[in-house]
Amino acid sequence: MADSSSSSPLAGLIKSPSLMALAAIVAAAAVFLVLQAANDPYTFLQALMKSFGLGAVYALIALGFVLIFKATQVVNFAQGALAMSGALFVSFMVSDGHIPFTTIRNPLVDMSPSWLGWFLSVLVALAVAAILGLIIERLTIRPMVGEPLFSVAVLTLGLEIFLRVFNNDAVKIEFRSLEVPWGVDGFNIGEAFVSWSYIAAMITAAVAFVAVFFFYRSRMGIAMRAVAYDQEAAMAQGINVGRVFAIAWAAGAVLAAIGGIFATQPPVAQTGAVQVETQLIAFRTLPAVILGGLDSVQGALIGGLIIGFAEIMAGQYASGQTDILGAGYPLIVPYVVMIIGLLIRPYGLFGTPEIRRV
Amino acid sequence: MKYWKRIMALLMAMAMIAAACGGSDDSSDEAEDSGSDTEAAEETADDDEAMEDDEAMEEDSDEAMEEDAGGEIATDIGVDDEVIKVGYNTDLSGIFAGLTTQILDGSEAYWEIVNENGGIAGRMVEPVVLDNAYDVPKHLENYEKFAGEGNDGVVIFGTSTGSPHTAATAEDLVKDDLIAIPLSWYSGWADPAIGQNVFEVQTNYCLEAINAVTYMSENHGSTAAIISFPGEYGQDGAQGAKIAAEALGLEIVYDGEGAVVPGSDQTPVITELVNSEADFVFATLNPSTLAEIMGGAVGQGYTGMWTGSSPTYNFQLLGTDLGPALDQYYIHSTYTALWNTDDTPGMTAMVEGMRAKRPDAPVSDTYIQSWIGGYIVQAILEQAAANGDMTRAGVVAAANEVTVDLQGLAPNQTWSGDPNDYVVRESYLYDVTLDTFTPEGTVSDEGAGTGFTLLDGPYVSDTAANYAYESACFKAS
Repeated sequence: MADSSSSSPLAGLIKSPSLMALAAIVAAAAVFLVLQAANDPYTFLQALMKSFGLGAVYALIALGFVLIFKATQVVNFAQGALAMSGALFVSFMVSDGHIPFTTIRNPLVDMSPSWLGWFLSVLVALAVAAILGLIIERLTIRPMVGEPLFSVAVLTLGLEIFLRVFNNDAVKIEFRSLEVPWGVDGFNIGEAFVSWSYIAAMITAAVAFVAVFFFYRSRMGIAMRAVAYDQEAAMAQGINVGRVFAIAWAAGAVLAAIGGIFATQPPVAQTGAVQVETQLIAFRTLPAVILGGLDSVQGALIGGLIIGFAEIMAGQYASGQTDILGAGYPLIVPYVVMIIGLLIRPYGLFGTPEIRRV
Repeated sequence: MKYWKRIMALLMAMAMIAAACGGSDDSSDEAEDSGSDTEAAEETADDDEAMEDDEAMEEDSDEAMEEDAGGEIATDIGVDDEVIKVGYNTDLSGIFAGLTTQILDGSEAYWEIVNENGGIAGRMVEPVVLDNAYDVPKHLENYEKFAGEGNDGVVIFGTSTGSPHTAATAEDLVKDDLIAIPLSWYSGWADPAIGQNVFEVQTNYCLEAINAVTYMSENHGSTAAIISFPGEYGQDGAQGAKIAAEALGLEIVYDGEGAVVPGSDQTPVITELVNSEADFVFATLNPSTLAEIMGGAVGQGYTGMWTGSSPTYNFQLLGTDLGPALDQYYIHSTYTALWNTDDTPGMTAMVEGMRAKRPDAPVSDTYIQSWIGGYIVQAILEQAAANGDMTRAGVVAAANEVTVDLQGLAPNQTWSGDPNDYVVRESYLYDVTLDTFTPEGTVSDEGAGTGFTLLDGPYVSDTAANYAYESACFKAS
């Protein structure tokens, strides 16, 4: 299997009847969508924009997974709790009007124009999220350098539960508003409704991916790639592995927080408020991470967009088939797509074949 | 380097302080102190105002004491000459902890007032609280302690949180001569074959749905969409909606019974709702899922009205981006009067009691459940005392005799006779109004409100009045 994966995927596909069948299913779905688009272009456009919005949220969170994995070889199962924590920090800043964990009043909430105050408050909240990432890394991950990766992965699962308890305690049954300036408003393209939050998520994802693209070409980025390739060799070359770990965790926590903010917005949620369900977004993102490839930045983007597209289109056009598919079929769709992708590319669409996975 | 170490030390200290603050609220304390909670029994605060205001409680207590003075009272587990232990097998750390800890807080405030007025039959009421974490095995584990003869042994359950949790103890309740008041409104509880010692309070999901759909058909159109979670909660409500639709000749243009799976993308349900163009939607969901579906549908231009089983809606949704849409399109259906929306004796007593005992508690409708539960347990125990038998068997017998006056907080309650005769059929319908909602009000704020204006209630539709109750509207296969 390892050999076949290194050869042309198309060649492997032609040799395998099961892959041929899968390709036929994908082709049929594509033809179906084209027909739907021709029949009712506005409904298709509406669903398409929604899928891009969801895909952008998935891509942002997937990028956090990938950054941490590339640096530390660990899947961070605490990403969902970090997402919720980050969104909570924003809520503390803009809704409660104080700096997280303090009683110091946030002066930015009085700033005019209000959207600028909100934006700057979010930046402060993201800085707090980064500090949280640094603390977690220093206290729990750094001491585990050189230890079995499985142990570290399970440790992050423990972190998820630990953070979740504090998050849930802060939220209780309330809906903690983030007071996002665009709220649930949107605009129409013909008869198609497009939420501003879709656009905001797409723009934010684009900025994040461009920033990461350039980061990997910086001195620290090259050091991170070296550490990902071989920790011991990197240390022998004088690279501060601990610092690389810290930066990866801080960046991962910030990306999780950004994803958490968008997880309170359409199309993921409609309240614009943090709820206990907010942290589930990371687990919904996992198929995108795996599909794209755990160690691939472009894989996070493409995987997120593919899973978002599949989930929304299946929800839109198969909604009348719940008698056959079951009521919860949108939950399954991302995993079906992921499995199809892994059958063709076992290490993800853009993943590196050598990597070990937990 | 030293500088960074200091920064790290400072941040760690901040994190530890934050952690300490986060864990110091009442619910956490209660969870840790999972043994006997003697706080209410020992409370001797001088809140004369609350004592005077709660005349009904005082009179009832006095009557019971007189009865006690007249003769010996038989007791066994959970009652002695000084204390009556009431069990609360409830969620202090699970998914409903935010809700149930508020209800528990109100219950403890209620018993503090009762105790200050002399208790029941001269005995102080001691709430025994154990955390089930909304976990069935944990609930059963707790049950064994409550049912046993140790320190946690009780004579009655004031709250048994969770439908599957309570169902798991249904047979044991009969065996142990215990009764439980469930924090669940499944229509099966009134069926002796399902919950013989489970004493359901107020309208069940099914009859509530019948009333709500009838009200909507009278005021908002004749085509309905039904959406619900799968299971005893969701589908009990959905079945009630269908019973009403059939009786009224309504057209169900989208049947989404059991179609809403929490945690998944709700595009299929939103698509079907929008395409259905129903005049109104009846939902049996939770608040966050309602928000996701309603927000999505309204965003796509759906303008039908919405209602749903309680607790599909939570007043705190009004503080979110969805507030204006809820104000415009949502009618709230529930089983009780809501916080400070009328001036019945029960409402007055509850508001003043909470202000005296928990002045800083957030304004909430959950305390009505606390007071209703308190009235019921008190009435049952006083009847048992009057009968001279406060053994567990005596309490079960007393529960089958009483009619509880809920002082206007909800329709009066009895469990004697044929379930078809005593199931509660009244419910309440409220308009959701953004301008009466105060996001961060406390119970002490005179003007604090949860955003409701009463439309009709206690309301009994003809459909509900004529419905012959025989067993649960929905039974899991």
